Amino acid sequence: MKGVMVILREGICPGINEEFIKALQSEDIKTVEDFVSCNLEELAQKCSLSYKALVAVRRVLLAQYTAFPVSGGDLYEELLSSTAILSTGNPSLDKLLDSGLYTGEITELTGSPGSGKTQVCFSVAVNISHQLKKTVLYIDTKGGMCANRLLQMLQTKTPNMEEQMEALQKIKVFRVFDVFSLLACLQHLRSNGLQKASVGGGSVKALIVDSVSAVLSSLLGGKQNEGMSLLMQVSGELKMIAKDFNIAVLVTNHVTRDGNGHLKAGLGQSWSHVPRTRVLLQRVEEAETSSIRTATLTKSSRQACHLVEEFDLCHWSEERRTSISGKRKLEERSKP
Amino acid sequence: MHRTVPSLPLAPSVKVKLINAGFQVASDLTDMRPLQLCKEAGISQEEAVEVLQMLRDDGQPHQQRAATESLTALDLLHQEQAQGSIVTFCSALDDTLGGGVSVGKTTEICGAPGVGKTQLCMQLAVDVQIPVCFGGLGGKALYIDTEGSFLVQRVADMANAAVQHCTLLAEDTEQRQALEELTVEKILSNLFLVRCHDYVELLAEVYLLPDFLSEHPEVRLVVIDSIAFPFRHDFEDLSQRTRLLNGLAQQLIQLATQHSIAVVLTNQMTTRVSNGQSKLVPALGESWGHAATQRLILHWEGLRRLASLYKSPSQMEATIQYQITVQGFRDSPDEPRPVPDVSAVSSQSGNHSKRPRMEDLS
Repeated sequence: MKGVMVILREGICPGINEEFIKALQSEDIKTVEDFVSCNLEELAQKCSLSYKALVAVRRVLLAQYTAFPVSGGDLYEELLSSTAILSTGNPSLDKLLDSGLYTGEITELTGSPGSGKTQVCFSVAVNISHQLKKTVLYIDTKGGMCANRLLQMLQTKTPNMEEQMEALQKIKVFRVFDVFSLLACLQHLRSNGLQKASVGGGSVKALIVDSVSAVLSSLLGGKQNEGMSLLMQVSGELKMIAKDFNIAVLVTNHVTRDGNGHLKAGLGQSWSHVPRTRVLLQRVEEAETSSIRTATLTKSSRQACHLVEEFDLCHWSEERRTSISGKRKLEERSKP
Repeated sequence: MHRTVPSLPLAPSVKVKLINAGFQVASDLTDMRPLQLCKEAGISQEEAVEVLQMLRDDGQPHQQRAATESLTALDLLHQEQAQGSIVTFCSALDDTLGGGVSVGKTTEICGAPGVGKTQLCMQLAVDVQIPVCFGGLGGKALYIDTEGSFLVQRVADMANAAVQHCTLLAEDTEQRQALEELTVEKILSNLFLVRCHDYVELLAEVYLLPDFLSEHPEVRLVVIDSIAFPFRHDFEDLSQRTRLLNGLAQQLIQLATQHSIAVVLTNQMTTRVSNGQSKLVPALGESWGHAATQRLILHWEGLRRLASLYKSPSQMEATIQYQITVQGFRDSPDEPRPVPDVSAVSSQSGNHSKRPRMEDLS
C-alpha cells in the first residue's frame, strides 16, 4: 500500500467527519493502515458507529490507496515503447555502455581527481543538446560547471553561432551545494519542474548530477545517524525521476583507497546498489597525449564486467548512426 | 509544497517523531498551530515553533528560488564572461589557467615546502586589488593564515612592484586617476588578515564567512594558507577528518559561487608508498582531491620551479616554469612563453581586455 502512514483526516473520503475521527482516535486508530487492518465488528461495538458505514469507508480507502498489479507482458510492452538509448557521442564509451545511456536507469561514473568525470558529463550534455536536440538538466554540486568549456565543445561540432546558442539554451544548470537543497531541487523537479524545464519542443531526456558524493560523503559514518536516510532519499528521488519521466540519469562519484591501496568507489556498499551501470575512469600513465583515458565497466546488467575501452577526451568524435530508438535497438540485441 | 518530511533540514529526532505521527509531506504541516503540532507529534513547544518557522522561511520565494532556479548554459556563459579572474603576474601561468585564478571556483595549490605556495598566495592578494581599468578586479582580499607564514614586509614589496608596474602601463586619464589612489598603504589596508591556530578556529571562521562577505561585498579573494596544517597534526580520527574537510569544501564552493569570490587553498605534500616505489602526492587523502574545483601542483625539477595544472573543468593540463623574484611571482626568463594550442586551451573572451604586458622589470 502506498502512503500507509496517511493520517485519517476529515475529507480524505466521503463519510469521514470530525466525530468519526474523534471516535477512532479514542481507540488509538490514527492512520489508514490502522483502520484497514483492524477488526470492524469490534470497532463498531466500541465506538458505537454503524458497521455498514465502516465497511463502506474501508472499501473507499482501499480503492484509493492500493497499488494495482500489472502483468509482465504489459510491463515489457511499455518498456519497449518508452525506453530510449541516448548516445554519449563517443563510440568507445557507447560500446562500453551497450549503445549509450538508457532512459529509466541511473549510470554512474567514478574516478580519481582529474580523471575526466566532469569532462565526460560535459561531452554527454553537449551531445544530447546539440545532436539529439533534447533538454538536459545539469545539477552541479561542486562548482565545476563551466559554460565556456561547453561553448568550446560546441564550437568543434559546428561553426554556426545560432546552433551553438540554441544548444546552450537546452542545457539547464542547477547549483546546489548541500543535500537538503539537492533534495528540494529533485522533489521540485519531480512534482512540476520537469514540464517547465522543457524548452522549445525538446523534452527533458537526461539528468546529470555532478557529483552526488560531494554532498553525501560528509554525512556518512561516525556517530551520525541521518546520513544513510538522506542517501536513500536521494537515490529514491533519482530513481523515481528516471522511471516516471523516462529520463537517463548520469551521476558522478568520487573514489577512495581501501586498505590495499586499490581504488574503490565512494559512498559505500549501500550506494553501490543504486546505479544500474558503473564505469571507472582512469588516466593512462604513459600515453602520448595527456587526454587519453580508460573506462572500465565495473557493474552492468547487460555486459560482462571489466570490459575496458580507451578514448581521448579531446577527440570526442561524432556519433554517425541515429541514436534515439526504442524497439529497434532492443530487438537487435535479442537476436543471437 | 511538495517537500517530503524526511528531506527537510530538521534535527533527526524531531523528524522521527513527525513521521511516526503520520506527517508525510510538508503541506501536512503548514496549517498546523504550534500547540496542535506539539500534542500530535509529541515534540516540545520550542521544537514545534522551530519546525513551523523553517517551513515558513522555506516557503518564501527567495529561499525556494535558490534550490529550484535554473540558469541555462547561455546565461551562465554571459555571467562567466562578465566575471573576471585574478592575474598572477606570471603570464605562462595565467595562460594555463585561462586568464588567471577564476572567480567563483575553488583553486587548490599543492607543493613541497619552499616551492612558493605562500608567495603565490600573497601575490594574488595584491593582484586582486589592481583597478578595473588596468584589467584587474579592484577588490579586497581576506587572508586566513594557519601556519604563521604571512610576512607583511614581503607583501609590501610585492605591492610596491605592482604599483610600479601599473605606473609604467598607465596610458589614459582614467588609468592615471586610478593610479593616484593605488598606493602601498591602500593595498595593505584592503587586505584583511585572520590568524587561526587550530582546526576549530578555522571551521568557525569559515562558518562566519557568509556574514563577513555580506558586510564587505568588495572582497573578491579568500586565501586559506594552509588548509592542511591544522588538519594534519594531532588528528586521531581520520574518517572524521575526511568528513570535516568534505563539509568545509562544500561550504567554500557555496561561498565562491554565491558571493562571486575566488577561493584559494594551499595544501602540503605527503609520500605515498606503493609497489615498493614512493611518490609525492598532495596531502589530506584521496577524497580531498575531489574537493577543490581546480588543482595546481608546484614542484621542483632540479633548480627549476614548475607549476602543473592537474585538474580543471575548463583547461587542458599543462606544465610551465615560473620564478620568484624580489618583485614577487613572475615568469621565468629561461623558458620562452608557451604558445597556447588554440583548439585545446580556452581563452577567456571577457569584457576586460588583457592589458599589454611589459617585459620583466628586473
